[in-house]
Formats: sequence, C-alpha cells, structure tokens
Amino acid sequence: MEEKLIAVVAAALDVPASSLTLDSRLGDVEAWDSLAQINIVSEIESAFGAEIPIEEIGSIETVRDFLRWLGERA
Amino acid sequence: MKFALLSNVNVDSLARRVAGHEGYVPEGFGAWTRELADPAAPLWAFAPAVVFVLVDGRELLRGRDEPGAAESEVDAQLGWIEGAAARAPGTKFLVSSLDVPPLGPRTLRHPFLERRVEERWRAGLAALATRCANVYVLDTKELVEEHGRAAFYSSKRWYLGALRWSLDGEKLLARELVRVLGALSAAPKKCLVLDLDNTLWGGIVGEDGVAGLRLAETGEGARYKDFQRRILRLKELGVVLAIVSKNNPDDAFEVFDTHPQMVLRRGDFAAHRINWTPKPQNLRDLAADLDLGLDSFVFVDDNPVEREAVRSELPEVTVPEFPSDTTRLPEFLDALHREHFFALESTDEDRQRTASYLANAQRAAARTSAGSIEEFLAGLATRITLGPAREDDVARVAQLTQKTNQFNLTTRRYTEQEIDAFRRADPRSVLVASVADKYGDNGKVCVLIVRRTGAHAAELDTFLMSCRVMGRYIEDQILGHVVETLRAAGVTALRVTFAPTKKNAPARSFVERLDGGRVVAETPEGGRTWEFDIAAASPVTRPPYAELVAGDA
Repeated sequence: MEEKLIAVVAAALDVPASSLTLDSRLGDVEAWDSLAQINIVSEIESAFGAEIPIEEIGSIETVRDFLRWLGERA
Repeated sequence: MKFALLSNVNVDSLARRVAGHEGYVPEGFGAWTRELADPAAPLWAFAPAVVFVLVDGRELLRGRDEPGAAESEVDAQLGWIEGAAARAPGTKFLVSSLDVPPLGPRTLRHPFLERRVEERWRAGLAALATRCANVYVLDTKELVEEHGRAAFYSSKRWYLGALRWSLDGEKLLARELVRVLGALSAAPKKCLVLDLDNTLWGGIVGEDGVAGLRLAETGEGARYKDFQRRILRLKELGVVLAIVSKNNPDDAFEVFDTHPQMVLRRGDFAAHRINWTPKPQNLRDLAADLDLGLDSFVFVDDNPVEREAVRSELPEVTVPEFPSDTTRLPEFLDALHREHFFALESTDEDRQRTASYLANAQRAAARTSAGSIEEFLAGLATRITLGPAREDDVARVAQLTQKTNQFNLTTRRYTEQEIDAFRRADPRSVLVASVADKYGDNGKVCVLIVRRTGAHAAELDTFLMSCRVMGRYIEDQILGHVVETLRAAGVTALRVTFAPTKKNAPARSFVERLDGGRVVAETPEGGRTWEFDIAAASPVTRPPYAELVAGDA
C-alpha cells in the first residue's frame, strides 16, 4: 500500500516517485501546494476507492498522514 | 502556443494539466470579465493566440436566480466577449457552452430557469460566433452529457478549492483544450485511406458476392452503413477519401454501383488502388498521385497484417487500431475525427477538396517502385504447415474448393465424396496447408490436388488459397516445396493449368510469375496449360521466406 500510495501522490504532483518519502510534506515539496493537495486527495480517493471526509483533510500534511488514514480505514 | 484561460471558477489546476503550451490565468477567478474589458489588463500584454472562456452555469446564476437578472447577466457576459473579440481580431476566442444543473428542490411546474438560461446562452453564443469570425463554440456541455454530471462535477473539490470539476471532468476538459491547441499548432491529417472488405462493409465481396455483404439500413448490417455515413460527414468537412483494397476492381465497383445500401459513391473517393499489390506500395503511389505527404495519411484496415505492413514500411502513415467490436465503428470514426482530422472550421474550399484531388489524381500517372516487401514478410514470422489431407480435413477441403474464387487456378468444385475418393486413390494427392503468423493462426487456408498422370508426370489439378493470406507469396513457397517433393519421387514433368474466371485475377498473376513453362494447351476462353520440366529447375523463382513444416502421409 505504501508503494502504491507514493506512486499515486507522485503522479498527482507530476514528480518522480523516487523524489518522495513517507515524510514528504505539503509546502516542502515544491509542486505540493494547497491546490495540489486537493488533486492528491482526489487521486487517492480514486485509486483506493475511499472518501476522505472534508473534516480530515486539513489535518493531513504528509504522505504518512495519508497512509495512516488509509490504514485506520482498513 | 500561448493560451489564456478565463473562468468564473478556479481553473489553476486545469491550466496545469494543459502541458506543452504556455498558459495565462488571471489572478482571482472573478476577474475574467474585467480582464476582457480592460485593454490595459495583463491578459493583453500576455498576447495569447487563443482565449478559452469557460463559464460555469451555477456561478453565473449565483445571486441572480430569477429569470430577468439571469438573462441580463448572460447578455452582459456575451457582450464583454464580443467587445474583446472585436478588439483582438487575431486572437481566437473559444467560448464554452453553458451547463446549469438544478439549483435546488422544485416541482414539475417550476419555471425552468436553468434551461432558459442555458438556451439564452446557446442562442446568444451561436449568434456571436456567426457575427465574429474569431469566436468559436467549445461545446463543453456535450462533454458533460457524454460523461454525466455525477462523474463530471465534484462537490468536495468545489468546497475545498472552488474546483468545479471532478478529477475526471478536469482531465477531460484538459484533453479538449490540448486537442484544440494541437489542431491549431499542427496541420491535421488530410487523407483517410480505407480498406473495403470487412471495413466499409461486412464480408468479402470476392467470396460472398454483392448480395452476401452485410450492409443495411437497420439491424446488424447497419453498423457498416452508419460508419459510411460518418465517413461521408468527414469528407464534407474537407477530408480526402481514398481506397486501398486487395480485390478485383470489378467486384469492388460492383458494390459501389449496384448495392442499394451503399452511402459512399465512387465519386466520394479522390483516388483508389484496388489490386493485389502490397498496400505500402499502393499508399506510396496514392501519395504521389494526390501530391500529399504520407504523413498526412490515416490508414484504416481491419486486417492486422496489413496494418503491420504499413506501420513497418511507412512509419509516417498513421495507422489506428481497428475496433475488435465492429458495433463500435461509428464511435471509432468519431474518435478518428477527434484525434487526427479535427479543425476549428471548414471552408468551402475544404469541402471541395476531394474534387480537386480527384482531378490531380486523374492527371497523375500510376507509378510503381520497389518497396521493402521482403523485410515486412520476414518480420511476420509466418509458419506454413503442409501435409496430406486427413480424413477429418475432407469437409474443409471440399468447402474451400466450393467457396474459393480469387486465388484459385482452375476453380474446380468438388464434393466431400470426390475429395475423399482422391485421397483414397492416392494419399499424397490432396494436400492441405495451414498458415500461422505472429498475429495468430489462420487455420487451413490452402489446398492442392496433384494427380500423378504417369511414372514421371504429374498435373496440378487444383491450387487454391483463401484470401485471408493472399499477397504474401505463400503460394510460391508452397508450390516450390511441392515441386521438390515430386522431384524426389521421380517426377520430371509438371503440368499447371490456369482457367480464367471473373474473379481469379490473383491466380493469374501467380501463374504469370512462374518460370520456364511451355504452353501445351489453350482454350478459347483464355485458359492455358503449361508443362514445366522440374527435373533440374523449379518454376518458382521467389526465395522461400517462411518456416515450412511438411507433414507425412
């Protein structure tokens, strides 16, 4: 799941997967701005068949946060 | 190409998806009308070649959800667009259609505000596009209809970032913008080259006859008629049509001239090559005749081997995959238009284009030149399996003698009983070959009947091959092998007969390339029998190229 998640985030940001880690963060990665964050959420929802509640999205800032959310859900 | 993207919703994410072009989006998505109206705005300093105006219906109605206010807002927005278009005549303005989803709960007697606003926009924009040569309608509502509002819009993205469209919707819109920009920056394809059998109609005219073709107004055969109708529309937009088909010209033209369901007529095609020459060569000739570059050709053929031949020899020709589900032929044509022939508009000159190319082609002489057919054949990985017909082959062999018209030297029709009698009399007299290549197995497609007429003499009673594998010189290699086998068995003289019919021109060109025959009989109908001395030489001159596996009796 971790590998797939990084691939999905990388595709959403249009950066190589190798440039991302679990600790990559909104604001630190150049392409990852608040607009890109929305696209990451949409791509993850589509790739994992999930619906991330709007209340949760504000507290998700790193790839690890997404992974944790997906893990709790599973 | 420089483009600007103006909208009443957030289009930053959409603009990022339009790769390969330089884009401009005004700061703040409410600013688009001001930018249009103000000649000093950054938009004009950017000097876009194309301005996309994407108007969101719900935003247009925000705070104006009663008819008077809504309609005057529509008129005002179209007015700003018209003003800008008049000031920048060198800039193309592509303005979206308007989609207005229901604003909220309503009864069946509601005032249809959403529809009224959509209609006001549609009519106003259509009139605007008629008045202003640089205003075009980008029918985004059609995209929404194709995919459905539920899939096209996203509430979550809207509330998170004023992004109206779902991920998929945004990607579809981006593709549409890229397509328009691509059509403006590169020349579209000019010529659609079509195969005939199993492409313009279902079935093979040389085998099934005109009456046996699937081509009809309704029912199963309608998929081909609908395909033809759309091809005609494409021609009317200025695309030049041409035919490249392995067929007897008389058979093919009989369909055009006599089939009541044909939509396309001979005169709709600027040029044709209906013959047994390899298709890459025919395409080169067409390009020369029409004075068009091969890179302006799109080649449509149901046969994967033909497609591969063209791809490998003529990489500049665009060769789309043919739909495996032929009920999708109409959509296939629409996709061809979108991807290869799309243009913002067509002129009278475009619509007359076929006529002018037809004239060019008629002036140009037919040419042939050497191609690299050998390389193509070598790349097919053809495997021929040849052996005596077994008991369970009898039905298929008889059927092939009954049905095969085109590559058939003598066109002698035999029943199962007759075939069985031949092979019982001489187990090696009836030979059957199957042919496979890298695209799959064509099955048993070739039959030879070789009669021993003396201790050292034999005659080729029957030699036929299905049209599925014609044009690949398989027949040469098979006969070459049979000659070797006969020679090893002590045969020194082989007689080969060609009996002409209306349909067997492919067999004629085969006997004409055999070498060293002495004519021993002729008929008034043009039939000939040759005798070949096979003791030392073979009538076959083409070198074998396929793998040939010979089975035993």
